[in-house]
Amino acid sequence: MTKKSHDADVAFIQALAELLRSNELTELEVHRDYGEDDSLNVRVARQMQAAPAAAPVHVAAPAASAAPAPGAEVAQQAASPEDLAQHPGAVTSPMVGTVYLQAEPGTPAFVKIGDTVEEGETLLIIEAMKTMNHIPAPRAGTVKRILVEDGTPVEFGAPLMIVE
Amino acid sequence: MMSWPEGVERRVLDSVDSTNAEAARIADSLAGPCWIMARRQTAARGRRGRAWASPEGNFAATLVLRPAEAPGQAALRSFVAALALRETCAGLTGREAAFSLKWPNDVLLNGGKLAGILLESVGAGGRLTHLAIGIGVNLTAVPPPEAVEPGATPPVALAPETGIRPGQEAFLDALAAAYARWEYQFTTYGFAPIRSAWLAHAARLGQPITARTARETHEGTFETVDETGALVLNGPRGRVAIPAAEVFF
Repeated sequence: MTKKSHDADVAFIQALAELLRSNELTELEVHRDYGEDDSLNVRVARQMQAAPAAAPVHVAAPAASAAPAPGAEVAQQAASPEDLAQHPGAVTSPMVGTVYLQAEPGTPAFVKIGDTVEEGETLLIIEAMKTMNHIPAPRAGTVKRILVEDGTPVEFGAPLMIVE
Repeated sequence: MMSWPEGVERRVLDSVDSTNAEAARIADSLAGPCWIMARRQTAARGRRGRAWASPEGNFAATLVLRPAEAPGQAALRSFVAALALRETCAGLTGREAAFSLKWPNDVLLNGGKLAGILLESVGAGGRLTHLAIGIGVNLTAVPPPEAVEPGATPPVALAPETGIRPGQEAFLDALAAAYARWEYQFTTYGFAPIRSAWLAHAARLGQPITARTARETHEGTFETVDETGALVLNGPRGRVAIPAAEVFF
C-alpha cells in the first residue's frame, strides 16, 4: 500500500466515524473495490451505553468469593475481588502465600464475622517459605466479611477481610 | 573465638517456653537486632503448631530483626538463615559435603534432619514491625521417635554423626557471625546470590519430590527455586511454583 492510499483510507475511516456519531448509529460496515486485488473493508462501531463493559477479573479468585458460573445471573454477581480490594475496609495480602485462619490446626479461628477487633490484633496468618506472617487489623472495627478460606493460596494484593 | 557482629544484641536465657514466643514478647522494646538463646525450651514449636522436641544440650535461638523490606521480600531470609546455619555446621565440623538444604530452610546432615527454622513476622501494608527467625539444631540428641511425624525426614544429631560436640554458646557465636555475613549479602545484593548459593547446596535438585500444601499434594521433579523463593516442581499437571508447603522425599 502506498503512503498516499494509506492516508486516503485513514481519511475515509475518519469520515465514517464522524457519520456514525452524527447519525447516532452503533455500527457501520463498508466494502469498497478499487480494482483487481485491491479492496477495503471497514467496520466502525461504538457502544451507546454509558455503562462501561464489565472488566475482566485477573486476581486469583479466593475460594470464598463464589464467582458465578458462565451464564449465571449477572445481577446477583458479588463485587469482584478487584472491587473488594478497593473497599475502604479491605485488608489485603502483602505477599503471595497460603492463608491460615487459625494459629494452628484444631484451635479456634483468630476472628469470625461479627467480631470486634482492636487495631493490631491478628486477623490471620499468611505463610510463604516457612515464614508465618501475622496480618494485624489495620484499625479497630468489626469483621464484616472473611473473603478467604483456611489453607488456600492468595496472591499479592488479594482482599482477605473487610473490617470497618 | 568468633567476633560477635557489631550492633547486634546477645541475650542468653537459662530457660524459656520458646525463643520465638520470647521474641514476640520483647520485639517492641528492642533497639536493634537481637539474638535470644535459651539453654532449655519448655514449649518449643514447629510449623503449624507441631511440637519441636528440644532435648537438653540442643541449640535453640531466635534472631529478631526489623526488616526494611516488604513482607514477601523479608520472608526470603528463610534461605539466608539456612545458608548461615549450613555454613556454621560445615565450618565447625570440617565436613563441607555432609550438609545439604531441603526447601525452604531445613539443614540436612548425611540426609537426615539436623535442624529446623521457623520464621514469624507481624505486619501489613507493606511493612513488618518485626521478623523472628527461630532456629533449632540437634547438637547432641535426636528427638524421641514418637515426636517424629510419619513420612518426615528422619532426625539426626551433630555429635553422634560427626563426633563434634560444640557448646550452645559457641554455636551461637559462630552462627551469629555467619548470619551477619549472609545478611550483608542479602541486603546489599538482593536474593540472586542467596538463591544461587542455596541451589548449590540443595538436596534432591532434579529429582522427584513431594510437596504438601494445606490442601493439595504435588509430585514432580524439583526443578529450581524461582526468584520469589517459590519451589518449582514439574509434574503431571505441568510446572507449578509453590510458595508454602512441606517437602517430602
